[in-house]
Amino acid sequence: MPSRNRDLRPLAARETLRAVTRRHFFRDCGVGLGKIALASMLAGGARAIGSDVPAFDVTNPLSPRPPHFAPKAKRVIYLFMAGAPSQLDLFDPKPTLAEYDGQPVPAEVVKDQRYAFIRPDASLMAPRFRFSRHGESGAELSEMLPHLAKVVDDIAIVRSVHTDQFNHAPAQIFMNSGSPLPGRPCMGSWVTYGIGSEAEDLPGFVVLSSGSGISGGAANWSSGFLPTSYEGVVFRSQGDAILNVSSPPGFDDQLQRDSLDLIRTLNDRQLGRVGDPEIASRIASYEMAYRMQSSAPELMDLSGESQDTLDLYGVTPGKASFANNCLLARRMIERGVRFVNLYHEGWDHHSDVEGGLRSQCGQTDQASAALVLDLKRRGLLEDTLIVWGGEFGRTPMVESNATLGRSLGRDHHPQAFTMWFAGGGVKPGLTLGATDDLGFHVVDRPVHVHDVQATILHLLGLDHERLTFRTQGRDFRLTDVHGHVVEELLA
Amino acid sequence: MIVRSLIGTLTATIALTSGALAADGPIDFNRDIRPILSNKCLFCHGPDEAERKADLRLDVRDDALDASKGYAAIVPGNPDESELIYRVESEDDLDVMPPPSVANPVTEEEAELLRRWVEQGAEYAVHWSYAKPERPDLPEVSDPSWPSNPIDHFILDRLHAEGLAPSPEADRATLIRRVALDLTGLPPTPEQVAEFLADPAPDAFERLVDRLLASHSYGEHQARLWLDLARYADSAGYADDPSRTIWAYRDWVIDAFNANMPFDRFTLEQMAGDLLPDPSESQLVATAFHRNTMTNSEGGTDDEEFRSAAIVDRVNTTMTVWMGTSMACAQCHTHKYDPISQVDYFRLYAILNNTADADLRDEAPLLPLFTEEQLAHKAEWEQEAASLRETLATATPELKEAQHDWERAVLAGEEPFPDAPKVPEPILEILRVDASERSDEQAKQLADHFLGVTPLLQAERSRLAELKGKLAPHTTVPIMRELAGDDRRTTRVQLRGNYLDLGEEVAPGVPESFHPLPDGAAPDRLSLARWLVADENPLTARVVANRCWEQVFGQGLVPTGEEFGSQGEPPTHPELLDWLATELVRTGWDLKAFFKLLVTSSTYRQSSRVDPDLLERDPANIFLARGPRFRLSAEMIRDQALFVSGLLSPQMHGPPVNPPRPATGLNAAFGSAIDRETSTGQNRYRRGLYTEWRRTNPYPSMTTFDAPNREVCTVRRERTNTPLQALVTLNDPVYVEAAQALARRMVREGGETADDRIRRGFQLCLARDPSEAEREHLLALVEDARLAFSGDPEAALAMATDPLGPLPEGAAPDELAAWTVVANVLLNLDEMVLKR
Repeated sequence: MPSRNRDLRPLAARETLRAVTRRHFFRDCGVGLGKIALASMLAGGARAIGSDVPAFDVTNPLSPRPPHFAPKAKRVIYLFMAGAPSQLDLFDPKPTLAEYDGQPVPAEVVKDQRYAFIRPDASLMAPRFRFSRHGESGAELSEMLPHLAKVVDDIAIVRSVHTDQFNHAPAQIFMNSGSPLPGRPCMGSWVTYGIGSEAEDLPGFVVLSSGSGISGGAANWSSGFLPTSYEGVVFRSQGDAILNVSSPPGFDDQLQRDSLDLIRTLNDRQLGRVGDPEIASRIASYEMAYRMQSSAPELMDLSGESQDTLDLYGVTPGKASFANNCLLARRMIERGVRFVNLYHEGWDHHSDVEGGLRSQCGQTDQASAALVLDLKRRGLLEDTLIVWGGEFGRTPMVESNATLGRSLGRDHHPQAFTMWFAGGGVKPGLTLGATDDLGFHVVDRPVHVHDVQATILHLLGLDHERLTFRTQGRDFRLTDVHGHVVEELLA
Repeated sequence: MIVRSLIGTLTATIALTSGALAADGPIDFNRDIRPILSNKCLFCHGPDEAERKADLRLDVRDDALDASKGYAAIVPGNPDESELIYRVESEDDLDVMPPPSVANPVTEEEAELLRRWVEQGAEYAVHWSYAKPERPDLPEVSDPSWPSNPIDHFILDRLHAEGLAPSPEADRATLIRRVALDLTGLPPTPEQVAEFLADPAPDAFERLVDRLLASHSYGEHQARLWLDLARYADSAGYADDPSRTIWAYRDWVIDAFNANMPFDRFTLEQMAGDLLPDPSESQLVATAFHRNTMTNSEGGTDDEEFRSAAIVDRVNTTMTVWMGTSMACAQCHTHKYDPISQVDYFRLYAILNNTADADLRDEAPLLPLFTEEQLAHKAEWEQEAASLRETLATATPELKEAQHDWERAVLAGEEPFPDAPKVPEPILEILRVDASERSDEQAKQLADHFLGVTPLLQAERSRLAELKGKLAPHTTVPIMRELAGDDRRTTRVQLRGNYLDLGEEVAPGVPESFHPLPDGAAPDRLSLARWLVADENPLTARVVANRCWEQVFGQGLVPTGEEFGSQGEPPTHPELLDWLATELVRTGWDLKAFFKLLVTSSTYRQSSRVDPDLLERDPANIFLARGPRFRLSAEMIRDQALFVSGLLSPQMHGPPVNPPRPATGLNAAFGSAIDRETSTGQNRYRRGLYTEWRRTNPYPSMTTFDAPNREVCTVRRERTNTPLQALVTLNDPVYVEAAQALARRMVREGGETADDRIRRGFQLCLARDPSEAEREHLLALVEDARLAFSGDPEAALAMATDPLGPLPEGAAPDELAAWTVVANVLLNLDEMVLKR
């Protein structure tokens, strides 16, 4: 890339150097050691577009920086329903499917499609629940979502999402990183890389998890080829909320502070001796670590929440749950966290989709709706984007398999599924897109996973074609070479 | 820290382009023009036919000069007649190239360079890295006393040109710590430091280097770096990420480095050990290199899809590791910048597409491995087992009689062998048939059953079971096995990289724009391996030399070690790189000799101190006017903490271990718990490369220090600086335990006075004595801490013993707790986590 932006770089470098070589500069580190152009963000390469250059603070790669254009959303809470909930029993009513219950699926519908477990000629299965219209928008929801029904005018439902992947791990990683294979940065990493974080005492990108484990594992919050500063930090369900945030047993606050002061003094001396600016950034990261030691426990402590709020979410203090995580997500974004990825795994209903949904909706419906309501009451919904969805959908056909002990389930279905969005510049009360009478294929306004990603970035003020990172000799994007912003979804 | 490498990029760019910009000097196609064409033009006017616009190709001179349409993109010597120059200079939105819609304009400077290039004849040159390195002469240098070896000629020549001067040599204590960390991944002991400091011989440093290269730690350290490239892990990846037994390969790598196996041999054995004539067991183990690809055993997946993904990974990894060429683009379409077509991609794919592995859960084919003891006794045990089997199947007259007695007893309803399982119904049925009426088959079944239960043969049965255990493999390792005959697969181009959407059939081979396979060579993995390390290969020696350089100096001579193609960065010292590449080949790919060359250079031995002027001039140390200084890797930081505290186990090899790690309370995707039982004894304190590497759940503190998850090949780890890292070295129980052990060691070995103990701590951790000020600061801390702990015995006990364990006899808890606080500070010093 030697030919690009030659004019910008030396200037940025010189500015940085002036700052870092200033005597005693460590005194004011954290408040601006000068800005350096993040070379890889200089839109470049063959597809180079745009010339605005986000810059970041040398000592803090997560310092906030302006997006490409004025954002509608400043932060994201992504409720990832891992395992893939059945859209046909929750969001996408299909009376025709009920009519054809038990009959084989027409051959022309399933021609050339791939499945994980079922045979393509399996019988159709009627929706398991009743649907009715709610709110002023009249959006249709199944009876399994009574709480969501109360906030339905605040959300936008997209019934026409589709993906390329039909196994859990690749599909989850695809949804998060734009590639089905591990190794690419995921959305939260791209976002914090692009615009940093407002949180001074907490990580910028946080992962919470409830239910059973997540197929795609750590690849779902990996920073891939981006620096690990942008990796999702997993908040844990037991012990310290952030790994190693507690001092060792017996080490009291004063002693820890004394130790840190001494580490700082000795590192200062080293800086004076050696002159390497990296020492300054180490000093700054120790200060941030110290602040996290008090901010993390404070974050997790729900004693300041009113009983009304606890009841709204359905939180039992001290008990790990999806509801608990939703409330924590709100507390995190209040403290400036940029991207909260909240996983709930348990939707993989190859058998007894009816019982499975009863159980999972019982665990998630109230808290998901509460999050919308709570953010709205606090004036946070307008610039916070909430996303709800799984990695793919489920088949209109029944899955039964005596050997595997399965009956009345639904298989993986990448061709169509439903997600909903709320707040942060999303048009409320909207129902977008449609599937055919059997709920098999999208027939109106297809929204590909890359389109979802492009839209989320757009709401944050980021152009998905310009948010790039150069590695292996080319500029990579979250959306690869695809993706279009779903304009209809924008308020 | 990423900022450093970015500044490096900037500086390199400035430095390398200044020549052509400063004067009306000659244009160098590779330096001045190729980057412009590559970044601004070739996406639409390059090798990829699918994207090519206006049927114009600018990467091939003949095409660019083609005037058959009445005008030519380039008319050599005549910029004003050249359409290219008109287009890039045009101010008309409809004519200007690249079009305004892609918002990637050619700058004025670039347009000027293009104009001068056309003026000067528009000569093309092959991309620098695709031309074989020529060994350059050593530059004459201004100060002949400075160079210790040829490297220094190139470095000093460049420093001189930049108006810079080298830094003085680092002091000896600094040097020994630096070189020990670089060659073995571990710091020196105070005794090694003392020995080196006291050695007056002029070759003291050289002999120190020899000692380090001869230590087993060298192979462990080098293996750790190679295992990132090999994407080695102890789990299979994807959703379920089940355990995978493949550590024998990790041990092979350690041993190969320690034995200083020449790199060309190292290449052949890993790529194609199974195809070597009469391969040894060790050569078969080596082929596990390409069995480190992931296996997907999630229910409902198509094995062929993930087998294909594994072959794709092998193509990409091979080309990245040996040739610094990212092929991944060409999986789906012809490369847009480099001369690699999609067919080329599948030629390589075809070579790698004929091994027996097929994304199976059992990872077949597996090679069973046996210990030396097993091998020594194997024949004898097998013979004994065979004879026992015969005994157990032979009805002697004595046994026949015993069988009659048994039959009678069973029929009478007795239970003659109370310890044996109940006689099964089919056997009872046979018994109920009169002996004379039984068929031969029935008689045999009956006899077999009897022989299987009679106490008369119990001793033989037990011994046979014991022998079976002794003969079972010690471990297994997945290997490459070439398919033969009808089992061989044909390869077709996968359209847009989709394994279900197949195009033309492709014969195995190497990319056409590189040197061909030798005449008559079968296009198989062995030929491919030989091709990688062939004399004609322009890339491999450069790539390997560059990687070794990066390991020691922190940044490669080609800063983008993973990409030597036209989209990578050019070398900062092209002649030095070529000299090193030819030297590596000349010495028979001798890696130890190569490292010795690097670390005995004057360049390497400079002090790493930097003043503001030099920092401003060369922030990323591109020109090497000072010694290298950068953060240690994840494994080194942990190994060092255990080493200085005396906890590190010297044990090598063997199954992966699980040092203490925080419980996650999480399950893997399909319900299996991912928390592991903590290893006990020595295995708690083994070097980091023996820690079980689970791809979906890597060891947390290593991830925090930028270790990759090893799902795919990693050439370069970033070096970040984050608060989470501070939390690890401050609070992680592994580091707390190390601080406790270090405290005990400082007290035990340091002596009676606090001063002596502080000095011992510094010697152990930093290979030097503390300064007066440092000593006073630490003294104040230990006194404050002692005071605090003397009032709180419970806290003192916890601080000194949790998790390390009970105090040594007679030790005072407040004393050791206070020293633990000091040790914790030492382990967190910048100087500790950096090589300086």
